[in-house]
Amino acid sequence: MNKRKMFFRMITASLLRRRSRMIVALLSIAIGATILSGLVTIYYDVPRQMGAQFRNYGANMIFTPTDGSFTSADISQGKNCIDQKDIIGVTPYRYESLRMREQPVMAAGTDMAEAKLTSPYWSVEGEYPSAEGQILLGATLSEQFRLGTGDKVEIGFTPSADDNDETVVDSTKEFTVSGILETGGPEEDYVYMILSDLEELTGVSGKIDLAELSISAKSDKLKTYADKINSSVPTIRASLVKRVTESETTVLTKLQALVLLVTVVVLALTMICVATTMTAVVAERRREIGLRKAIGASNSSIIKEFMGEGMLLGAVGGIIGSVLGYIFAQQVSINVFSSSISFMPLLVPITILVSVAVTGISCLLPIRSAASIEPALVLKGE
Amino acid sequence: MSLLELKNIYKIYGDLHALDDVNLKVEKGEWLSIMGPSGSGKSTMMNIIGCMDKPSKGEVLLDGVDIAKESAKNLTMIRRDKIGLIFQQFHLVSYLTAIENVMLAQYYHSVPDEKEALEALDRVGLADRAKHLPSQLSGGEQQRVCVARALINYPEIILADEPTGNLDDANEKIVVDLFHKLHNEGTTLIVVTHDPEVAEVAQRTVYLRNGRLHKETINQHFTGEIKFDNEVSV
Repeated sequence: MNKRKMFFRMITASLLRRRSRMIVALLSIAIGATILSGLVTIYYDVPRQMGAQFRNYGANMIFTPTDGSFTSADISQGKNCIDQKDIIGVTPYRYESLRMREQPVMAAGTDMAEAKLTSPYWSVEGEYPSAEGQILLGATLSEQFRLGTGDKVEIGFTPSADDNDETVVDSTKEFTVSGILETGGPEEDYVYMILSDLEELTGVSGKIDLAELSISAKSDKLKTYADKINSSVPTIRASLVKRVTESETTVLTKLQALVLLVTVVVLALTMICVATTMTAVVAERRREIGLRKAIGASNSSIIKEFMGEGMLLGAVGGIIGSVLGYIFAQQVSINVFSSSISFMPLLVPITILVSVAVTGISCLLPIRSAASIEPALVLKGE
Repeated sequence: MSLLELKNIYKIYGDLHALDDVNLKVEKGEWLSIMGPSGSGKSTMMNIIGCMDKPSKGEVLLDGVDIAKESAKNLTMIRRDKIGLIFQQFHLVSYLTAIENVMLAQYYHSVPDEKEALEALDRVGLADRAKHLPSQLSGGEQQRVCVARALINYPEIILADEPTGNLDDANEKIVVDLFHKLHNEGTTLIVVTHDPEVAEVAQRTVYLRNGRLHKETINQHFTGEIKFDNEVSV
């Protein structure tokens, strides 16, 4: 048997055969590692989770035309400047003034599926329009015109007097109200219909007035995207919805700082706890240390053995902490954000390494005191 | 040249002279007993001979080297290479098995060798208890493991501090018989004891009182075998 084998045999024997003693130390390390691993997981997952939460508050980027209007081809060009995995939804809007029961109303033609993604806060009583000939009626208009879900209404379009386009003629179409829209905002004053319906009514297609984008990214990245689009797509002016992006950044920064602070405090507490436990372990084993020195152990051997024990304890605590930390983070995520977190494999070796390092540092003082024990104490039987 | 020579050794703690001008020679292969009442300086002398303490004054020549002048690091090396220690309270590492306790001395000395450690346990009659923890062994067995640990590195001197102090008569006899065997193999033995029966087994006994060597007796009828009162023939 070589010395290394004997070294491991000794330190594993110390941990395994002194289970009741070492369990306290292991417990403190494992709890520290659990909270560390859990909080770091949350720290890195918070932007994603919060980003998803913020996306519920609507679009965070707007495309407006630099010159009157743009087309869906322009929007596609703009979309290509954004990492596709970051895009949650891109909703084009075309606004026109229409007639409903001979009264003017503002109508918006859009892509309903995309609108659901960029404006998840919309509350719809009934259904979103799923086919041509259906409309989503703002709550104010619904009340004004006494129209409810399932009612039919005729909507007409009259080209403006100065419109020189002779192909555009006064047209009407009957629509069914598929749902009533409640947002508590200006959207309640609009009639929403599928873009092709609006194009059919107005006789003009391919024209878009505005596009709302919901992008999963922090404000810095959003700004980079906007700059890229503004420089590479001349027909589009991309701008950020600052009330959303800035509050998102502020909340995220504060939340991450809080998590970081808690992590540091937990690490410090773990170190104190481990150092206290190791001090107790050393005090309890004074006689053994004296004996080891009496039979020929050098100070460096004693340091190596205790450090080895501490580090092994740290590694075991780190492994336990990695597993429990993931479970802890998962529970926090499910209870706070109502969604599960993604497993970060890299966090396992990092947790183990940090756990070993923290245990090692915590052991330094107790081990120094162990190395200074006089072997004569053993012979004296003190 | 003597294996061990103490020349004008003093150990002074404030006003207390734990050792006061002690002179002693121990020859290679000799079996020496040190006797004396509590506080006579036996433990202090053991610590100095065992390289675990240094005298305040004087020379301690071990194999011609004055260990009183050596650094703590060198003393550790000398202790590891030349001295085997046996304690009254056995002092085995509680979470290591008998064989691991023996291998511990090998580990600090050179390289652990399980086969050799098992042979050492066999010499003290404990080969079948090699995998037992100290808590699973009797006092006598623990002391025998301690003897195996002390002799595993073939030390120049085996230094035993009250080796039979915690043993019953039967185990005391086993341990003294082991010393006898070691002595016959040429090992130098220094045994500190309160027990006259154990002391008188040695070739020579020195008596300490108030830190001074008070008396020395030579065992003219040295056999190395212990005889208890009821066995002594008049």
